[in-house]
Amino acid sequence: PVEPTKTRKEKQPFEIDFESPLDSSGADAIYTQATSNTTISLAKKDWKSKSRNLLPDDKHFSSKQLLNLFLKPKARLSNRKQRTSSSRIGNVDSQRPADVPEG
Amino acid sequence: KQVAAVFRDAQRTTASHRKLAVTLRKIQEACCYEPTSTKKGATAEEFDEDDFNSEFMRCVLRVMPVKKSESVGEKTIRFIGLFLRHSIDKDNEVMGEADPDASTMPETPGTRLTTHLMETILPLLQAKDKFVRYRSTQLISHIINSLDAIDDDLFQKLRSGLLKRIRDKEAMVRAQAVLGLGRLAGNQADAEPNSDDSQDEATSGLLDKLLEVLQNDPSADVRRSLLVNLPILPNTLPFLLERARDQDAATRRAVYSRLLPALGDFRHLSLSMREKLLRWGLRDRDENVRKAAGRLFRERWIEDCAGTPPPQESGQPAEVSPPNIDALLELLERIDVINSGGENGVALEAMKGFWEGRPDYREAMVFDDQFFETLSAESVFVCRTFNDFCRNEGNGKFESLVEEKLPEVTKVAFYLERYIKVLIDAIKRAEEQEDLEEDEEEDTVEQEFIVEQLLHIALTLDYSDEVGRRKMFSLLRQTLSIPELPDEVTKLTVNVLRDICAPDAAGEKEFCSIVLEAVADVHDTIVDEPVPDDNESFHSAQSELSDDDDIPTKSKKNKGPELSEEEAAAKAIKEIMINMKCLHIVQCMLTNVAGDLQQNDHLVAMLNNLVVPAVRSHEAPVRERGLLCLGLCSLLDRSLAEENLTLFMHFFSKGHTALQITALQILTDILNVHGAQLLAANPTLLKVYIKALRSGAKHPEVQAAAVVAVSKLLLGRVVSDHEFSAELLKTLVIAYFEPASADNQSVRQALNYFLPVFCYSRTENQDLMRSVALDALHTLYNVREGLEDDDADVDEEMVSLTTIGACLIDWTDPRKCYYPGRETVDADKKHVNGDVHLEFAKDILDRLDTNIHKEEKKIIAPLLGKLYVSPLSSEEKTREVYQEVCLAVDGQLLSDATGRNALYKLHVGLGKIVNTLDAA
Repeated sequence: PVEPTKTRKEKQPFEIDFESPLDSSGADAIYTQATSNTTISLAKKDWKSKSRNLLPDDKHFSSKQLLNLFLKPKARLSNRKQRTSSSRIGNVDSQRPADVPEG
Repeated sequence: KQVAAVFRDAQRTTASHRKLAVTLRKIQEACCYEPTSTKKGATAEEFDEDDFNSEFMRCVLRVMPVKKSESVGEKTIRFIGLFLRHSIDKDNEVMGEADPDASTMPETPGTRLTTHLMETILPLLQAKDKFVRYRSTQLISHIINSLDAIDDDLFQKLRSGLLKRIRDKEAMVRAQAVLGLGRLAGNQADAEPNSDDSQDEATSGLLDKLLEVLQNDPSADVRRSLLVNLPILPNTLPFLLERARDQDAATRRAVYSRLLPALGDFRHLSLSMREKLLRWGLRDRDENVRKAAGRLFRERWIEDCAGTPPPQESGQPAEVSPPNIDALLELLERIDVINSGGENGVALEAMKGFWEGRPDYREAMVFDDQFFETLSAESVFVCRTFNDFCRNEGNGKFESLVEEKLPEVTKVAFYLERYIKVLIDAIKRAEEQEDLEEDEEEDTVEQEFIVEQLLHIALTLDYSDEVGRRKMFSLLRQTLSIPELPDEVTKLTVNVLRDICAPDAAGEKEFCSIVLEAVADVHDTIVDEPVPDDNESFHSAQSELSDDDDIPTKSKKNKGPELSEEEAAAKAIKEIMINMKCLHIVQCMLTNVAGDLQQNDHLVAMLNNLVVPAVRSHEAPVRERGLLCLGLCSLLDRSLAEENLTLFMHFFSKGHTALQITALQILTDILNVHGAQLLAANPTLLKVYIKALRSGAKHPEVQAAAVVAVSKLLLGRVVSDHEFSAELLKTLVIAYFEPASADNQSVRQALNYFLPVFCYSRTENQDLMRSVALDALHTLYNVREGLEDDDADVDEEMVSLTTIGACLIDWTDPRKCYYPGRETVDADKKHVNGDVHLEFAKDILDRLDTNIHKEEKKIIAPLLGKLYVSPLSSEEKTREVYQEVCLAVDGQLLSDATGRNALYKLHVGLGKIVNTLDAA
């Protein structure tokens, strides 16, 4: 809560002084013309955008696609949870119990 | 003087602008008009119009150098515009009723001042100072927008002055120029279209230029400014709507929150455009765009259908008309709900948002007998989405609402039965008639849609009521036996049946047995027809998998000598159709089964009698569907999976694109379910994946499927072998950057998601990435070299190797990696163990010490300076790497300055830590 008041005090509101005559630097700024049109213009290569500034087609990729089976999209919760839960939660040993060969 | 004082006050707040304009106008009048009575002339008002104008201009010029960030500048400019307008209006009052049809504008003090001002400001458009250009452009555009009419000569000058500024170097200037020009283009378009050919050409020239800017300007502010200021015309509309896919989220949002509401009735848009706009908006990556699109649908489009006039420009909120069911039905019809309301269709999202944002409609809905007796595609969709919303959203707080409004299970089953009958009748009628009337076909499609929606509702019902449960159960069981049932309806029917049966193993058995009964019924329809001779094919004894002589020979057996060739052909086709149908039902069933295959006799029999023969069928569609079913069975039985791995791989290497994808998915699911040993035991399987990952040039879809498949395997740690996973990860990294995948958005977007998630989720993953990073970079270096030989536009096809290097450093940055339990201390604990990057440093130094190309060294050496050096890294490793770095420094390993600096930076960083270690 202290921060905002601090910054607010620092900034003096800027005002245009309309009464006094224009100083020379101001007049310079106003009346100095650009040496050539190119110096104040956009580079020609930026005139065209290959993509027309449009997004590519969104594929809506999400974690869902990585967490379920291709053939049984609904099965991920029931099927895989019990299988991986023991190794997911903080178990550094990467061997999964289900993967130990039988016999 | 007084003029300056007015300006001084005007810059402070816009609230007093009106008053100040009146004040200034009085001064202007005093200067410009002859005193009407002589008695006032005594008050020393010796200033004339020229004096006023030059004083006014003096003040205006003071605004010109003001920076963009200072709000006084804009306030003053708005005041200037307001005053000029006020002044001209007053002049016209003084002049009395001017002839509204007058072709030339009357000259008045106000218009003279305007012209004078414009003439003075125009040259400033070419000023060297960017703020002067900004303010002068802003002023001119603002005045253009606040005036009704402009003198023709002046118009031409302004137009050409502003036109130059749409190519200004500064985006802020372009944004202002475009504001004024948009209005000019609009003005001319409003005028008589065929009044003057030359002017017409000028307009279209101007519009074309602006449309080009709309598409190409690199600044989103400029594009957005144009989007909301260009006139909406038949020839501009496509360009405006295209911005719904703009790269900038705020611009996309403006399409939904400003352009489209201002457009008027959405029904003037084409059907496909409506669907696209909805889909793009509701599925946008940015939440604010999604919100704006949702609001457009439920607050604007519905009003168009309800017949409410569009909101006034003045900004007061549009009046919301009361819930109007007919309007809602029309709205759904206007977005073609039969097509947009299917699975993955955007109408589902649209209606979810609708129910969310329109509690009035939620309350107003009535789903009584009358409603259900006269279902249409639109009304059933209303009911289905209402049901979905109430059951899935709001944490159950709408449950009671839907319970209260929807009929009980028995009744739903009753209506479902009725509409299924209508559907089947329609299909049979359609089959009998050779040449279909178009609207009859449409009718079938609508009936199918209605049944689908009712089944979607059935999927959510509570079957604890035994009467309702039995009714639904027997209805669906019978329905499934109908060979003509469309595939999607079949799928949903099977899903509901699974729901009705208990979730436990016994329930699953019951489910399988009744679905397979239905399959037998469907299959028997082949037999039912002329020759009732086949009882072998389905109910046959078991056949073993390896049994090769069990090729289905049904067709031969059924073929009586009395059948003509034509009849025989028709019969063969019918058999294939029925076979396909049976396989489809089985496929739908299998996706709902999780138990052990061997424990379920029904499934074993089905596998042997239906699936295995299908896989061996000579008919490609039957074979392919059989393959899918075999894959599903393999998920339920490990030995079956092992036995058939080679078969699936065979389908991958020999099949067409779609089949390759299916094979890949089957293989991946099998590995996910049965674990890594299968992969370890079959090294050729790895080759399948690598080959698929590299198939981008010829088969982009296969590559995309492979990327997702391999991502799953790596993220699920199904691949345990280090070499295998390294090879796969390296291939993914290359696929991500190489130009071959540049147009394959599926690949790029999947990897864009996967690579960071994979790296940051585990230390081991990060280290795996580290171990393949330089090899991948080496390959990409060669790819890039190859490009440079024959193409000038390398940068467009591929990001720079420096960028790739930065990505690799970032993905391996240990500070970004997730550690169990670390998120709690993250804020105050600045350092983490940095061993991964120390290893990376060793890799880089080793690589630099080989005879790789000088240019490649120039790419990898600077990476040394970007590595994270931490006091928490293991001491042993820190000292070891420090040694190597010292050697490299002494041995002058690097010749170029950038590389040396990076090396020195690492040297210093490690040196400090080693010193601390020594001191301890």
